[in-house]
Amino acid sequence: MSTTAEIDTAALAPRRRAWWQLLLADRAAALGLLILALIVLGAALAPLIAPHNPYASSRAVMLPPVWEARGTWTHILGTDGQGRDMLSRILYGTRTTLIIGVVAVLVGGIFGSLLGLLSAFYKRIDPYVMRLVDMMLSFPAILLGLALVAVFGPGVVPVIVALAIATIPDCARIARSIAVSVMEQEFIEAGRAVGLSDRALFTRYLMRNCVSSIMIFISLRFGQVILIGAALSFLGLGARPPAAELGMMAAQGRDFLLFAPHIAVIPSVAIFVIVLCANIVGDALRDVLDPRLRG
Amino acid sequence: MTRTPKHSVRLVLAASTALMLPALAAAQEVTIVREVDSNNYDPHRSTARAAAEVLFMLGDTLVSLEPDMQTLSDGLAHSWEVSDDGLIYTFHLKEGVTFCDGKPLTADDVVWSLSRWVDPETSSPVAWRAGDVVEIRAVDDLTVEYELSAPFSELLYQLTQSFGTIFDRDSAEALGEDFGINGFNGTGPFCWVDWAPRDRMVIERNPNYTWGPSFHDNQGPAHLERITWQIVPEESTRTVALITGQSQITQYVPAIAIEQLRATPTVEVVQSDEAFWTYFMGFKVDKDVVADPVVRQAMNLAVDQEAMAEDLFFGMVEPAFSYISQAALDWNPDLDDRLLRHDVDLANRMLDEAGWERGSDGVRARDGLELRPLAYVFAGSTWAKIAEAVQADLLQIGVGMEIQAFDATVAWSRLATQEFDMFGMSFPYISAGDALNLYFRSENTPTPNRMNWIDQMTDDLLQAGKTATDDGTRASSYGEVLEIVHDAAVWIPLYHEPMFIAHTTAMAPVVPHNIYGAGLYKGLDLRFND
Repeated sequence: MSTTAEIDTAALAPRRRAWWQLLLADRAAALGLLILALIVLGAALAPLIAPHNPYASSRAVMLPPVWEARGTWTHILGTDGQGRDMLSRILYGTRTTLIIGVVAVLVGGIFGSLLGLLSAFYKRIDPYVMRLVDMMLSFPAILLGLALVAVFGPGVVPVIVALAIATIPDCARIARSIAVSVMEQEFIEAGRAVGLSDRALFTRYLMRNCVSSIMIFISLRFGQVILIGAALSFLGLGARPPAAELGMMAAQGRDFLLFAPHIAVIPSVAIFVIVLCANIVGDALRDVLDPRLRG
Repeated sequence: MTRTPKHSVRLVLAASTALMLPALAAAQEVTIVREVDSNNYDPHRSTARAAAEVLFMLGDTLVSLEPDMQTLSDGLAHSWEVSDDGLIYTFHLKEGVTFCDGKPLTADDVVWSLSRWVDPETSSPVAWRAGDVVEIRAVDDLTVEYELSAPFSELLYQLTQSFGTIFDRDSAEALGEDFGINGFNGTGPFCWVDWAPRDRMVIERNPNYTWGPSFHDNQGPAHLERITWQIVPEESTRTVALITGQSQITQYVPAIAIEQLRATPTVEVVQSDEAFWTYFMGFKVDKDVVADPVVRQAMNLAVDQEAMAEDLFFGMVEPAFSYISQAALDWNPDLDDRLLRHDVDLANRMLDEAGWERGSDGVRARDGLELRPLAYVFAGSTWAKIAEAVQADLLQIGVGMEIQAFDATVAWSRLATQEFDMFGMSFPYISAGDALNLYFRSENTPTPNRMNWIDQMTDDLLQAGKTATDDGTRASSYGEVLEIVHDAAVWIPLYHEPMFIAHTTAMAPVVPHNIYGAGLYKGLDLRFND
C-alpha cells in the first residue's frame, strides 16, 4: 500500500528545497504569487501609501480615472459618488477584505481541521461529529451571515464569524478523510503499542502527517471565502460606512453604473484579481505539495 | 378521427385570438417601479408614502384635492356644509357608489372607517389629523355628520389624505389583523388583487367606477386595466427599466438620471412644485450624546446642504436650512436670517468652547462621553448617500456618527423604538401646521415625534394654531413653534425635493398630483396614447 507517510518521511527531506522552485517554475503561479504579494503589501501599507484620506469626501464627485477624458493625476482611479479618492479606498478596502478572508479562513480552518482530526482519532465521537458537520453543511454561508447580522447587527465581526463557521464543515470533512487513512498506518499502531499517550500520538504523528494536505485545502478555500465575504458586504451586511470594503464599494457603485461605471467596476475587478490569484496559487500549491499528485 | 379543413381554420383562428388577447390586455397594463414598499396598506396604521400611493387608487376619500394642492373638490361626498362655529361638518354622499365586491356604500361605512381612525384602540399615529372628534354619525344612508370639540381649519384638507380613505366595514372586520395585508375592499378606481411584500402590489380596474372627483377628465372607470407596483431598490435598475419600457411610469427616478431621461426620446419627465417634500435628520433630544443643544447646533453648521444638493442630487433638489419650505403656508419669515448655514469653523469653535475635546481618533468627547451618535436610516440608495455625506461632514467637526440602515418593512418599527440617537426621515406637507402637528406634539412620541420633543409651550401653541379661526392667530402660533424648534436645533434639515414623474412616451401626458407625494393619485387619467 503506497502511503503518504512513507513518501513524506522518505522523500520529503531531499525535495524540500525544490518545493519553492517547483512552484515558481509554474509561470501562472509565480505571476499570481507576485500579484498577490503586491496586493497584500499595498493593503498592509495602505495608511502610508494612500494618496488621500479614504473617508474624506470632496466636491469633486464621480471623477473618472486618469485614463479617461476628464481624469486627473490627483485622483488616479477617480473619485466615488461622495467625492472620495477611489485609489485610497481600494487600498483600505482591500485591507478590510483580506483581513476578513484571512481571519475567517484561519479560524474556520483551525477549528474545522481539529474537529476532523479528533473525529478520526476518537472513533466513538466520529458519528456525532460528522452528523453535526452534515447539519452545518446544509447552511449556506450567505444565509448564516444574514442570520448572524440579524442578531448582532451589521459589522466585520459577524461576517468573519459567519465565514469561519461556513469553513468549518468542509475543513472537518477533508481533515477527517486524510486523518482516517493516516490512522490506518502501522506507525500509529506501533505508537500505541509502545504506550505513547493519546496526546503525543495525536500531535506528533497524526497532525504532522495531515497538516500539509489540510493547508492546501485551506489555501484553495481562501479565494471562495473572499468571494462570499465580498458578497455579504455587497448585501450591506459587512463593513459599515464610512469604512471601505471591496464588496461594499461595488454595491455603492451600483447607483452610478450608467454614469460613472468605474465606481463599481474598479472594486469588482480588484475582487476578481484577488480571487483569481488566490485560486491559481492554491492550485499550484496543491500540485507541488500533494504527494499523491506528484506520484 | 380526421379534422376537416374548416376545423383547422377555426383552430388557427382560436389560437391566434388566444395569442392576441394577452397582447391586447398587456397594452392596458402598466408597471410602476418604486424604491420601497409599505409595512402594510391599512390607512390608519401606515404613514408611508408607499401606502398612500396605493390607497388613493384602492379607495376614495370624502373630499379630494385638485392637482394645484389648494382647491377642494368632491370625493365620495358631492357636497358638504360647515356650521358657523366650525364644529359640525355635514357631508352628502354620492348615490350609487359600490365597493369592489359590489356591495353598496352607505353612511355607516363612512362613519365606521372614520371612527376607526380616531379610535384610541387603533392607536393610529395619524389620529391627530382627524381633528378633536366628538362623534361621527350617520344621519341617513347618504348623510354623515362630523362633530368636533374645537374648530380645525385643516379638517377638509386632512380628509383628502389617504388616512381618510373609506372602506368596507364587513370585510375589514372579517380580515381583522390581516386588513391591509391580505385584502382591502374599497370604493376606488382599482381593486386589490395581490400583495407580495417587498416585491409587488397588483391592483385591477374597478369596472363600475363612475364617481371619481370632478376635476378628472375621465369620469368613468380607469383607462388602465391593471397596475403593478414593482419594488426595485436600485436606482440604476429603475432608470433602465423605464428606458427599456419594462416600466411605463415612475416618480422614483434618481436625480442623476433626470437630465439623461429628458434627453431620451422615449421618455417624458414632468415636474411639480405644488407641494413640499423635505428630507431631514432628527435628534432624539433626550439621548445623552445629542442632549446638548450646542452639539446639535454645531452638527447643523457642519452639514453642507448646498454641496449635497449639488453633488449628490445634481442640483435637482433645493438645499434646506429650514424645517419646512420657506414657501409653505405659515412659514415664519423672521427666521430667514437666523437659519444655521454651513460654517465648519464656527461649529468647531462652539464645540471647543463647550468642552468637547478631540480624542486620538479625532472624535470629540466630554466627561467620558464620546460624540458617536447612532443614526437609523432606511436602506436604499437615497438614504445610503445622504447618511454617508452627513457622516463625512460631521467627521470634520469631530462627530463620529454611526449609521445603521434598515429595510423599509422593518425600519418603521425600529424607528418607533428608543434605540437610536438620530434618524433620517422625509415627509410631505402643504403648510407649517401640517408639518408641525405631525412631528412636534408630545402625544406623538415615540412616533412620529421620534425626537422625544416634549414641551408644554409647543403643545399649547400647536393647539392654538390648530383650532385658530383666523389666519393671523394660526400663522403667529405656528410661527412661534417654528422659532422654538429651530432654536433648539431638533433637526438637521437637508433638502426640499420637487416631484419628478418620468413616463414613457407611449403614455399620454401625466398631470402630477403631489398629495402626500403620491404623484399619480387615483390613476384615473393615466392612459396610453391611441
